[in-house]
Amino acid sequence: MVAVASVVAAAAVIEGIRMSNNQRSITATLAAATCSLLGTNMPEPVQAQEDPGWDFNTAFLYYGEDNNRVQDLSLDMLARRTFVDDRFLTLGLTLDSLTGASPNGALIQDVAQTFTRPSGDSIYTTPAGEQPLDDTFKDTRLAVSANWQQPLGRLYQINVGASASKEFDYVHLGLNTKISRDFNQRNTTLAAGLALAQDEWDPIGGIPAGLSATGNVGDLSNRSGPDTKDIFDVVFGVTQVISKQLLMQVNYSYSDSSGYLSDPFKLVSVVDGVTGDVVPVAQTPGVDGPSHLYLHEARPRNRTKHSLYTQAKYYMDGKVLDISYRYMTDDWEIDSHTLDMRYRWPFANDSYLEPHLRYYTQSEAGFYKLSLVDGDPLPDFASADYRLGNFDAITAGLKYGWKTGVGNDMSVRLEWYQQSGTVASNQLIGNQVGRDNYPDLNAIIAQFSYRFGY
Amino acid sequence: MADRRPERSVRVDRGDGCWRGKFQAMASPCEVLCETDDVGVAKRLTRLAATEAWRIEDKFSRYLPGNIVDRINNAQGRPVELDPETAHLIDFSATLAELSDGRFDITSGVLRRVWRFDGSDRIPSAAAVARIVESIGWHRVSWTSPSLQMPIGMQIDLGGIGKEYAVDRAAQLLRDAGSMSCLVNFGGDLAVTTRSRQRDGWKVGIEAPNTARLPADRVLNLQNGALATSGDARRFLLKDGIRYSHILDPKTGWPVPNAPRSVTVAADTCTQAGMLSTLAMLEGAGAETFLDAQGVRYWCHR
Repeated sequence: MVAVASVVAAAAVIEGIRMSNNQRSITATLAAATCSLLGTNMPEPVQAQEDPGWDFNTAFLYYGEDNNRVQDLSLDMLARRTFVDDRFLTLGLTLDSLTGASPNGALIQDVAQTFTRPSGDSIYTTPAGEQPLDDTFKDTRLAVSANWQQPLGRLYQINVGASASKEFDYVHLGLNTKISRDFNQRNTTLAAGLALAQDEWDPIGGIPAGLSATGNVGDLSNRSGPDTKDIFDVVFGVTQVISKQLLMQVNYSYSDSSGYLSDPFKLVSVVDGVTGDVVPVAQTPGVDGPSHLYLHEARPRNRTKHSLYTQAKYYMDGKVLDISYRYMTDDWEIDSHTLDMRYRWPFANDSYLEPHLRYYTQSEAGFYKLSLVDGDPLPDFASADYRLGNFDAITAGLKYGWKTGVGNDMSVRLEWYQQSGTVASNQLIGNQVGRDNYPDLNAIIAQFSYRFGY
Repeated sequence: MADRRPERSVRVDRGDGCWRGKFQAMASPCEVLCETDDVGVAKRLTRLAATEAWRIEDKFSRYLPGNIVDRINNAQGRPVELDPETAHLIDFSATLAELSDGRFDITSGVLRRVWRFDGSDRIPSAAAVARIVESIGWHRVSWTSPSLQMPIGMQIDLGGIGKEYAVDRAAQLLRDAGSMSCLVNFGGDLAVTTRSRQRDGWKVGIEAPNTARLPADRVLNLQNGALATSGDARRFLLKDGIRYSHILDPKTGWPVPNAPRSVTVAADTCTQAGMLSTLAMLEGAGAETFLDAQGVRYWCHR
């Protein structure tokens, strides 16, 4: 029986080859027959393109602070692959190159100040009247991420991802997941997310003990090995379609960090209780060391943050107004408010302008100390890091985006960032009154983005 | 048999940037995606498409007693006078039979009596196949529109055209009823009514029917036109290491050797796309060569 079948099949193959040699186009006849079958005007001709398997979003970013402070050149690539049934794979890669100098936390003085570098192997000197900057701020950071998104059943969507980054002295590893469900004919979406991360600090010379004095070159007696921090974040959110024009979102997030949360490069000046000037230290002949008394900062080993974020997107005739507000409070006593506004204004030929305005304000951490007084008992925690102080910041910028001839998206963005801080008057001692204890920070952000399919 | 029909109802829910109407017809899940914010409009258009699909199913199903196909198949050699719509379908089938050199044949449905593609190894006997092939052959039917006369023992089955025809008919009704873009999808055979507001058009997934699903999946941006797929990887027979596809050659009564597992074609109408994908399957090993000669976009899975 099988033998007979094979013979018949072989005959069919020969038939098939004969047909193939005689290939002709039947499209015209088929089109005419279809037209008379359907008895109407034929619809517009087919227009179908295979979706580019990958969608690449690349950006080149420059961030530069004034007075030779931090400069960052960053290359960002996000590749997204779309699969059928709304499944997506997103891969990210970021390469940062950081250079410049960052305030080390010490006070501006009327005399020159000498500091031991964080590595403990050399010194640097800040001239009188200038803000002490740690000029060893130089790093390359590589960050990668992967994320998979897919529907679960008809109404659920799940997202799982992992991230990792590596700097010379810092490693981050993270995992995240998010699940969302649509309600109310997809007008309402509830989402819950969870993220876990473990980071490790391993600076050259080791991690300095909190509130220990900076030592002479070569003295690493107050240093210890690498330390880690664990971060646990949860987020709950509601997205609601209010009307054809208005979309709103509210998120609550809780974040718990524990472990080494200090910055091993930041110092606190120890001052005379009357003059407010930094206390000089005796120099050991033949050995380089700090000119004054500086302590390594110490922050609590736990931090719990709560934040509430709300966003409204308003669509009007192609224009989009996007306003968001975030309130954050934590057990370090920092409260912050962020108001962000963007307005996307499209005009002819697939291009748009997007002004951006952001205002940020925060109150200082409970352990923020401009300086510590010589002879007073040491507190448990102290930091003079400007990022933990009272400050306001404004970002103002403009983005211009357009479509290239082949339909890819390009945009340029230019933004100005201005930060100004204040130190509470009850923190000021003697000569500190009248000095610029919190110099303003100005930065420029320039970005070029290109999005294309492949 | 008619009582086995599933419940005829229409359900509408919200899709991504559109409303999605769903119903069941022609043994397939059917949907109408409407690019509108108005759920009422979406419901109305879905009902319009569903009513047309059900009408065509009732009129041309080979399972329904009393319909035109049943009357033709039970005419016992007597001529049957056809209504204009059926006559157009028969005209169209006759053209296809001619274009395909007899490989597309609406009288070949009787082969199902001996071939059951259930994944088993039950290959019919050569004698049984030969006996059935006796009662196949469009050239033996006398057709002078609107009169059709078929020898006793022969049957016609319009299942090979019905779904694609229904998609085009429904798309036309929606085109006449509203200006927004809709995607009419009857069990994977689909058509766009008019250009979508989205720059890339409607996103349509083309699944590879094999087990290694991921890498072969494609997403297609369809601005205008239609897609149809022939072939089903789950319908085959396997005996002594030979895989018998469910694409039967009406001239031999045996599966077409080396037929692709599935062929998807993009064309102006779903009917054209469906015919080209069916004819390509019948070409077996020559499917790609045939499709290349037609100058259409296609996705052939082997």
